[in-house]
Amino acid sequence: MRPISIALTLAFCLLGSVLHAQQPDSTNKGFADITEAAGIQHQFQVYEGMFGGGICVFDLNNDGFEDLYLTGGMNEDQLYLNQGNGTFRNVFEGSGLEITRRFVTQGVAGADVNRDGWVDLFITTITAKDSGRIIPRARNLFFLNDGDGTFTDATEAFGLIPLYSFSTGPSFGDFNADGWPDLYVGNYFQEYMGELTSINDATIVGANQTAKSYLLLNEGGKAFRDVYTDYGMKHRGFGFGGLFTDFDNDGDLDLLVHHDFGYKATPSLLYRNDHPRERFTEVGKEFDMDLKINAMAAANGDINHDGMLDYFITNIRFNRFMVSQGPGKPYREELKERGMTFVTISWGANFADFDHDGELELFVANGDLNPNCTPMADFYFDQNPDGSFTDRAHLVGLNDYGIGRGTVVFDLENDGDLDILTINQAPVMPGYPVASTTRLFRNDLADGNWLQIVLKGKQSDLHGLGARIKVVAGGKTFLREIDGGGSTHMSQNSSIAHIGLGEAEIVDSLVITWVGGHEQVLLGQPVNTRLNVEESPHEERPVWPWILVGALGGLLAAGFAWKRAQKRRSDR
Amino acid sequence: MFKIRTLIWLPIVLLTACTGEPVPSRSPQEVARAWAELTLDLSHHTPANSPTYASRALGYIGLTMYESIVPGHPSHRSVAEALQGLGPLPGVDPGQTYDWVLALNAGQAEILRAVYLQAADSSKQKVDKLESEVLAQYSASQPDTAVVARSVAFGKAVAKAIAAWAETDGGHRGYLRNFDKTFAREVFPGSWKPPLYAQSVSHNPLHPFWGKNRTFLLANAEIPVPRMIPFDSTPGSAYYKQYLKVYETEQALTLDQKEIAIWWGDDPGETFTPPGHSYYLATTVLKKINPDLIIWAETYARLGMAVADAFIKCWAWKYHYFSERPNTFIPQYIDPSWESFWPDPPFPAFPSGHAIQAAASAGVLTELFGEPFALTDSAHVGRPPDGLREVEFKARSFNSFWEIAEETARSRHFGGIHTEQDNEAGLEAGKVIASHINQLPWRAGSTAFIPNP
Repeated sequence: MRPISIALTLAFCLLGSVLHAQQPDSTNKGFADITEAAGIQHQFQVYEGMFGGGICVFDLNNDGFEDLYLTGGMNEDQLYLNQGNGTFRNVFEGSGLEITRRFVTQGVAGADVNRDGWVDLFITTITAKDSGRIIPRARNLFFLNDGDGTFTDATEAFGLIPLYSFSTGPSFGDFNADGWPDLYVGNYFQEYMGELTSINDATIVGANQTAKSYLLLNEGGKAFRDVYTDYGMKHRGFGFGGLFTDFDNDGDLDLLVHHDFGYKATPSLLYRNDHPRERFTEVGKEFDMDLKINAMAAANGDINHDGMLDYFITNIRFNRFMVSQGPGKPYREELKERGMTFVTISWGANFADFDHDGELELFVANGDLNPNCTPMADFYFDQNPDGSFTDRAHLVGLNDYGIGRGTVVFDLENDGDLDILTINQAPVMPGYPVASTTRLFRNDLADGNWLQIVLKGKQSDLHGLGARIKVVAGGKTFLREIDGGGSTHMSQNSSIAHIGLGEAEIVDSLVITWVGGHEQVLLGQPVNTRLNVEESPHEERPVWPWILVGALGGLLAAGFAWKRAQKRRSDR
Repeated sequence: MFKIRTLIWLPIVLLTACTGEPVPSRSPQEVARAWAELTLDLSHHTPANSPTYASRALGYIGLTMYESIVPGHPSHRSVAEALQGLGPLPGVDPGQTYDWVLALNAGQAEILRAVYLQAADSSKQKVDKLESEVLAQYSASQPDTAVVARSVAFGKAVAKAIAAWAETDGGHRGYLRNFDKTFAREVFPGSWKPPLYAQSVSHNPLHPFWGKNRTFLLANAEIPVPRMIPFDSTPGSAYYKQYLKVYETEQALTLDQKEIAIWWGDDPGETFTPPGHSYYLATTVLKKINPDLIIWAETYARLGMAVADAFIKCWAWKYHYFSERPNTFIPQYIDPSWESFWPDPPFPAFPSGHAIQAAASAGVLTELFGEPFALTDSAHVGRPPDGLREVEFKARSFNSFWEIAEETARSRHFGGIHTEQDNEAGLEAGKVIASHINQLPWRAGSTAFIPNP
């Protein structure tokens, strides 16, 4: 039933700058901490031992180099412009984003909400810094990108002012497939809108209970409307946000929801999108995704090339590795058999083929629960030929002991491989053994072939958020989903798809499934390049029945009017 | 189809709406029981409730029930003057008639509203509803409206006096300071650390200053600090052995032990809390033998004050030692990957709060009803099985109140959150607290009056 257009694609294929893969360097195969050299100076400061923070990778000025937004919590947020030479410049001052200084910021996600060609930013907050509120809550913040390096605060204009919430992870996903990116925002505690005068003991104790989250429908790039209950969502939980992902490969965006304290409050949930019906159906139990854990985030990736996404869900102590068993089947937890049972506290996690060997690795940011300050190193899980993983963080220079939270992957210098940025919190307790500051790790490890794909939506979201790319090369199938935020803790990875190809010299085929189900196929593509793919035109849902109805109605009305006119004439 | 169904149901719905559901006719004992059950409903459903705060509420609610009817029962005496700083309560007019059920009813409604200020509107409506139902039933059979007014006024006056006294005990509105941020946590070998596998969202410990609250009895305030084995991480040391035992028990946990651990969990977010469980067991006993109303009230009063003082003392000692949980010691010194069966509560370990309140409860129930006493505890029957641990809630039977207390204590060991010394110290102290409560001059002719200093 899905419209498939195989042709018409080459015309829209633009060859990006062909970049050389990393030179193999046997003396320095790893990641280099280039935080200082790249001009990144950041540390997240917690509010009363609470959560955060996040990073959004996005192209602020459409120059092809991806830029960064970092939340600071009690510290100032930062907007880093990628200068194209491996360094960043903080352009926060004068950006119009300064109002974030008044809030305790948490997570961030970006999408072109009004489809004007520039990526806009949604920043979650838990409270205002100066409010002194008994119940700490604040509105979230939404900024439209003006395209000249500045932003306009559109929180009020988009109808987000009444939502005084304690929000955590935001993620964009066009769940009604109309091309306008929608949002899911995780809330941890109940919202509280009331004035101080109406606070009583019952409202205070009631506010720290599990919360409903927000499902915000983008209304034509002009406003967001909370359609949580309209779409069948009922849950309340200690929300850490969700991940829009097409777990059942049916072309629409489902939603995997993360909850803290899932073992005593609401567990993880899996909402199946029943598009075109305007409804989500919760199927967590059916798919064994009702995890009763402290779910912090999920990384997604097809680790075994079976065309189904697998999910690594971060937790306190032991993570969960939910591996797809095929369409319609429950996921299987395989942490132990894949050799990843390390006791830690994990937050952000990213699947990527860092070394371009054609298999996914997994970076996991670890960090204690501030004010607990036991140092714990991050993980770099390298995949072995048997599908098990080995942590080689210490061998590749990624065993950072900072108090890790949100992490993202992106290509810092457009050299083809993926670099890592990971946020660290300032330790509340004195005497922490390392500088727990945000770290930028340059990938000096990759030596195989690769492909990057930039999606340019026409009818779909302009950056293809949530779209999937299936690549066949060198006898393997690769699957990628463009992150709209949430495929890591409170953060958003690069929206440029990246695939490591090992020794494959050509991409045999590339199938893009745009959100809504439209498929587009490219054949015989080169490697070691950034491919720009514009969405091929395709028919909308058939409109002729409506035209017919409209025409008939029009005829009737016209006839009626004509009759009345005649009557009037004869009455005269 | 839908329309037909609607048409069938409509008259039924309308009829019900007009007549309302039938108001139950309650015996005096059933009125006491209804209030005890509503008390536990509030313990369960009031947000941010804690075992500490719930125990305090039970103390004042139970005492109010007793004091609101005791002048009408010559077999019994007021204990008000034997309590720390309460003094004589409002008296009755000796020449006048009172309806003691109406007094009890008014007093319970008043004290519930006062101690559960923070209850949700739906809970407050339940209090109003029960109060008006009992008022309607008992004033219907009372021809003299002056008796009704007098009885209600007396019950309210007693409750108000007790509520005013409660405001000065240190625990008033304590739910606003559950995880007090002003508490500076010390770090030393063996000190409590915020749990990873936790029952609570906060990293701060629960009610660090609760131990400074005024106890009901001075004698309870003066109980000396129980001794605890000092920290020693050396394998084979007495301290180490305590934790090794927890570890070994958990490694070989039987289904029966799991059922016990789950049964007594009584998480404040999901149930009526551990002291609520004791109050519930009191109702179970009273239902079984259905004594005179005054015995119902005396039982709730003794039990409520016993568990309230138990939690104050327990918290004083918990923060005196600020001792670690097995989840802190075992991963560090025995098995890094170990995790308790039951999540950690957000406060230090020694002594066990479950154990101390269970022993305090057993002490008063044994004194009142003797032993052996066959009893089936159905508190959690009908709850869906614990999904995480795949264990069902099955009714438990006992032959004495001490059996119950000992199983409650052991359950924390099976849950992996308490060592045996935590439980033993709790049980011992609970017994002492109960004996002090039992020594109050409850009965006419009692001699064991504990004078106020």
